[in-house]
Amino acid sequence: MFSLRGKTVLVTGASSGIGKQICITLAGQGAQLIITGRSTERLSETLQALAGEGHQMIPADLTDSALLAELVKGLPVLTGVVFCAGVITYLPAAFSNEAKIAEIFKVNYNSQIVLCQQILKAKKIAKGGALVFISSISSQLGVPGTLLYASSKAAVNAAVKVLAAELSSQKIRVNAIAPGIVRTPLLDTAKDIMEKERFDNAEKEYPLGYGEPADVANATVFYLADESKWATGNIMILDGGYTLK
Amino acid sequence: MEITVFVDNFANLFDETPKAEIGETTNFKGLEEWNSLLGLATVAMVDEHYGVRVSGDEIKDAQTVTDLFELVKQKSAGNK
Repeated sequence: MFSLRGKTVLVTGASSGIGKQICITLAGQGAQLIITGRSTERLSETLQALAGEGHQMIPADLTDSALLAELVKGLPVLTGVVFCAGVITYLPAAFSNEAKIAEIFKVNYNSQIVLCQQILKAKKIAKGGALVFISSISSQLGVPGTLLYASSKAAVNAAVKVLAAELSSQKIRVNAIAPGIVRTPLLDTAKDIMEKERFDNAEKEYPLGYGEPADVANATVFYLADESKWATGNIMILDGGYTLK
Repeated sequence: MEITVFVDNFANLFDETPKAEIGETTNFKGLEEWNSLLGLATVAMVDEHYGVRVSGDEIKDAQTVTDLFELVKQKSAGNK
């Protein structure tokens, strides 16, 4: 069950946190990977951690449209893409100005959707392929300070539904995973801003505790595997029971 | 960096607390209006006006508005 043997998968945001673990897990299930991210150094660390042969890394800042176009040009036909690049920010509404909106959306929404658009236009996703977007539970909540982050992820959720409908004729499936708090380096930034004590206390709100990158990676395997061939347009809530209350 | 300007920028973050109640020696976390969102607003204000990042823990360690000012001053000096 859930083998990814014979699948060629592109993963964005592969240099750290959830993205890195997704790469390790997918390679473990037999997928051939093309990994991309901004930091060449950390991307090579991910590459070295992958089981199996023939994986490829292409360092690129996807917010740079020339680099993005070059990346797409060099891609083989894919059977899956995992859109994992993202930044987190905590800003009160009064400070969420136009420049900040542009900054957050550029990474979390624009670059991912433009990549998807170019892959589709270049016909580099095979029939029966699967696209997986890493969203966030905050897209459906109202956590103070997350105006821009939550909105950017809500935009991704909406895109997933539309893409799922548009691409169904080619049997390409599009799903999102919306995790709650996962312990990652991205989170250390959040922790830095939030105060350690409050951060640790907040874990009590999670019946199953905070998540691990592997929890998200395992769900990604499910959506890429042929076994989930009937699942499309889903936003999977993966939050250790946080939203049960 | 002027402390009077800093105090003014900081006091502007508050909606309920009269400006006159916030001065250099004010224990800001003792103010009734103080909450975590104001903590985030403080981080954002410092970033916007002074171009430096302070953490939640650093704000937690500060007692008075002057403590905050000194922290920001020290950080912006380190940036130059």
